[in-house]
Amino acid sequence: MPKIKIDGEELEVELGTTILEAAKEVQVNIPTLCYLEELSVYGGCRLCVVEIEGEKNLKPACATEIAEGMEIKTHSEKVRRVRKNIFELIISSHNIGCELNCLDCSWNISCELKEIAELIEIDQSRLDSINERYDDDNSSHAVVRKMNKCIDCTRCVRKCEEIQGVGIFTKANRGPETLITTFKNKGMGNVECANCGQCIHACPTGALHESYHYNSVWHFLNDDSKFVVVQTAPSVRVALSEGFGEEPGTVATGQMVAALRRLGFDRVFDTNFSADLTIMEEGYELIGRIKEGGKLPMFTSCSPGWIKFIEHFYPEYLPHLSTCKSPQQMLGAVAKSYYAEQHGINVEDMIVVSVMPCTAKKFEASRLEMEDDVDFVLTTRELIRMIKESGLDMMNLAEEKADKMMGASSGAADIFGATGGVMEAALRTAYEVITEEELGKLDFKTLRGLAGIKEAEVEIGELTVKAAVAHGLGNAKELMERIEAGAEYHFVEVMACPGGCVGGGGQPVPTNQETVEKRLNSLYQIDAEKKLRKSHENPEIKAIYEEFLGEPGAKKSHDLLHTHYIPRSI
Amino acid sequence: MEELSFLEKLHNLQDTYGYIPEREISNLAEEADISRAKVFGVISFYSMFYTEPTGKYIVRICDSLSCYVNDSEDLVKAVQDYLEIEDGETSKDKKFSLEVVECLGHCGEGPVMMINNKTFTQLNEKKALNILKECK
Amino acid sequence: MGERQLLKKEATTDITEHNFSALEKALTMEGAEVVKEIKEAGLKGRGGAGFPTGLKWELALAEEADDKYLICNADEAETGTFKDRYLMENVPFKVLEGIIIAAYAVGANKGYIYIRGEYSKPIKIFTKVLKDAYDEGLLGASILDSDFNFDLRLIKGAGAYICGEETALLNSIEGKRGKSRTKPPYPIQSGLFGQPTVVNNVETLTSAREIIDLGAEEYGALGTEESKGTKLVCLSGDISKPGVYEVEFGELTIREIIEELGQGVKNDEQLKFIIPGGASTSIIPAEKMDVDYSYEAIAEIGSSLGSGAIIVLDDTHSLLDLMVNVSRFFMDETCGTCFPCKDGNKQLNYLLKKAVQKGGFTKKEIELIRSIGETIILSARCGLGQTSSNFINSIFDNYQAEVLQRGNEDAEN
Ligand SMILES: Cc1cc2nc3c(=O)[nH]c(=O)nc-3n(C[C@H](O)[C@H](O)[C@H](O)COP(=O)(O)O)c2cc1C
Ligand code: SF4
Ligand code: FES
Repeated sequence: MPKIKIDGEELEVELGTTILEAAKEVQVNIPTLCYLEELSVYGGCRLCVVEIEGEKNLKPACATEIAEGMEIKTHSEKVRRVRKNIFELIISSHNIGCELNCLDCSWNISCELKEIAELIEIDQSRLDSINERYDDDNSSHAVVRKMNKCIDCTRCVRKCEEIQGVGIFTKANRGPETLITTFKNKGMGNVECANCGQCIHACPTGALHESYHYNSVWHFLNDDSKFVVVQTAPSVRVALSEGFGEEPGTVATGQMVAALRRLGFDRVFDTNFSADLTIMEEGYELIGRIKEGGKLPMFTSCSPGWIKFIEHFYPEYLPHLSTCKSPQQMLGAVAKSYYAEQHGINVEDMIVVSVMPCTAKKFEASRLEMEDDVDFVLTTRELIRMIKESGLDMMNLAEEKADKMMGASSGAADIFGATGGVMEAALRTAYEVITEEELGKLDFKTLRGLAGIKEAEVEIGELTVKAAVAHGLGNAKELMERIEAGAEYHFVEVMACPGGCVGGGGQPVPTNQETVEKRLNSLYQIDAEKKLRKSHENPEIKAIYEEFLGEPGAKKSHDLLHTHYIPRSI
Repeated sequence: MEELSFLEKLHNLQDTYGYIPEREISNLAEEADISRAKVFGVISFYSMFYTEPTGKYIVRICDSLSCYVNDSEDLVKAVQDYLEIEDGETSKDKKFSLEVVECLGHCGEGPVMMINNKTFTQLNEKKALNILKECK
Repeated sequence: MGERQLLKKEATTDITEHNFSALEKALTMEGAEVVKEIKEAGLKGRGGAGFPTGLKWELALAEEADDKYLICNADEAETGTFKDRYLMENVPFKVLEGIIIAAYAVGANKGYIYIRGEYSKPIKIFTKVLKDAYDEGLLGASILDSDFNFDLRLIKGAGAYICGEETALLNSIEGKRGKSRTKPPYPIQSGLFGQPTVVNNVETLTSAREIIDLGAEEYGALGTEESKGTKLVCLSGDISKPGVYEVEFGELTIREIIEELGQGVKNDEQLKFIIPGGASTSIIPAEKMDVDYSYEAIAEIGSSLGSGAIIVLDDTHSLLDLMVNVSRFFMDETCGTCFPCKDGNKQLNYLLKKAVQKGGFTKKEIELIRSIGETIILSARCGLGQTSSNFINSIFDNYQAEVLQRGNEDAEN
């Protein structure tokens, strides 16, 4: 192993190690900007430059491998001077200087640039701002691009391409016209974007954020003639608290419900309820397809990013998608029918708001096929903003419960937020419905965890159900390739975001492997601690079928709870 | 030898259509199994490729140092006035596109103007306008 | 005194008139022997960096691979440079010979000549040259009945200066954005499509051809200790007789080149300074014109011979305008990858334009511009960024007093 020296510390490291990695071994963190561990190395920002003894030019630590005898200085006079200048150049060439827009920046709560500025001790800013003036890209229902803030680090480009396998972004032009853009500058709404919002998590400058709905929500909350109801997705409760300084994974279900009531929502429902409902519908659909020789494998349909991905890239597979609406849409649909009817609320006056970990849900709610179900979609981040704006000390609110009729849920619904969760929930119900026996062990451990693609075979009576689970669209693409190559499954669960909804594009910053894992564990914890752990045993679910829907898959559910898809080419 | 390289394909399309149409970009992307955004990224890197139709005549005038000291800016000005378009624009009748470019490699014979594939050297305003007038 | 013509000699575009003696000779030698000749002749790369060609070939020859590539870099786009065009237009078969000899020497089986897209005439000529050469058995299988096989293909560039940088060139041929690559690995180890690749300039390869033709000894007798042979010089700017001249290294001073070959500054104006090797090299002021034309003598006075593009500037220009013009070149041509190069050259252009408006710099501004320039040079990945502020810095080094804003030199802002 080569021997090297970093800031005078001797160490031995494997050949092929980068300077950046080697430095970590002697507890030196070299500042980086375009580098992200999960992505390929770009080496463009040059903030990570170091001095190598005997070489005139500085070298980027992220893109330079160590060599025998290297003597590296990570913060020499030259290095410190150069990286401060680079930082100054970045700030002045893009619309990201503090005096310009810290205050309304989507990243103001957790600013990577500020951290870097602190790390490298920026003490002056001598340059005029010479930012190009680009228009914002507002073409998408899900994600907004503020091109003026973009510094061309390509983190979104690489995330979209390497992790999500979609690749809607590119670096275009050269020289002073260099920019990150979409195909022919069409805008995110006019290309094959899945709306997953993972690019938002990749962006260090806040150039990307969700298309905001919170102002509209404020508006209707203040309109007494409207009956405003809200629903919250499983993953929100294990992430919301991060916005209030809690450890990732801290559960805040009761506090969240209380906060929503204090914000003025007339009813607080739980998307978990409709997750249970989804399991009923989807479970019966699967059983039907297996029994009656329908299209298999059946694909889950609760992740709208995944739906759009299939519509663009695999339109021939549309018949494989379950026709079930997602839990968000189902809840909207039954709120505006079942609940409205029973409480004599004029549907015209009802506003359904959902709080989602997801940006694609915004697009989903706008789909013409079901645009009446949900009116506004807030991300977890937007709800954090609203609660903050209202002055509430959320974590110290007394816990409250969601409203009756659409507030109860099983543990199976909670794990919807985790990759493999929908599959596990469905299997718990399918098993008992088909075999009419009680399922002994409820935990399907092979379906859990962060492996990109998980496969399992589950014995249900006579039948061996072959299941596959993928999370992140890059993995989904790989799974689709397997299916195209002949792999046979009955049931396939895909969630567009890495980790599942807990890692959604609308979740708090930072959303990374570490935070995703903690949120995920909390969901399984909630499930484990619940008495009610199977969707079909949820009393409110039993009630809605008895009082309103009839049977799963019957006419009424079909009209309200199912939908169809649109082939979109690229 | 191997099949056409990607760059050659782009040249062929550019020569065929005068720009590289969207559907051809999609085809290229599919063939190469990369996103069409990426193909656009490649095309837009190069000054001689276009993704929108240009004028029939692309007029390129060099304004790099050797030409600059031989009064290329006067030439640029005269051509702009004559064509009534600025750098990067196409005339309304789609006849001319004007591009002020960096060194064209005829620095000893500046100022220099290219019209499509033809290079004209040792120009002055009068000569240049006469050449443009001949573009029908 | 005057030109010393080797490369320029025996011009023809007719294959039947060209004598392929050098190639024939090379094919009777071992590859390693050819490399040895080039090494002994002391040839240095003429593309701008001056890397010893023999060494490059030796390293490439030692690489084992299924495919090995030889690339002739004819992307010539450095301001003031037009010698490769001269060679391709006038002695294309010598260029071809050089390419084949190089391929033979390093054991390359495939090759490309990458000609900038704007060079329509050379492209036309070379298209014909390749066709003729294939017809005559000079390319393809069993070249001149030897057991050497080599395929050569012409690739047109598409308008991007940076593609002349060797690793950007590889990306461009591969059909990617023409951005440079991180080195190491060097092209010799992992170049085109990951295979060992030699990239050489047109003039380098043509000179290699002359070396084999004359023999290392005779060629090496020309020039100085560090600069062997002849060099094409492109004279442009404020000069009476611009053009491509071939000089023996060390024979003439820059003053002699300007006065004797170029017949002095145009319109009898006063010489202010020259740029010896294109816009990426530092200027040489009029007082230092008596420097010998050689790599070492020019390096000695703090500049570089670069590609051999001597741009002559008289004293009628505004230095500020010239700085803006040169900085725009780099701003326009950066591939846009390195933040310091992309944003830095943009800032420099902005600061220089601002100075034009106010009629000069404050000392503080000069300090700032130099500091940004230093940052670009030290932290950029490729030669473009690393040389982009040489011109500006050298103007400050030589003419700071002239570019200060009179009466406001010490202002804070
Ligand atoms: C920005 C930039 C542009 C360059 N352009 C050219 C060029 O047009 N032609 C060329 O031969 N070398 C050019 N070079 C130098 C090449 O990188 C490389 O050093 C050269 O082709 C090697 O050949 P040689 O050793 O024969 O000179 C350029 C370098 C840089 C940094
Ligand atoms: S130095 Fe400039 S031209 Fe070279 S790779 Fe970096 S950005 Fe591109
Ligand atoms: S400077 Fe104009 S052609 Fe070179």
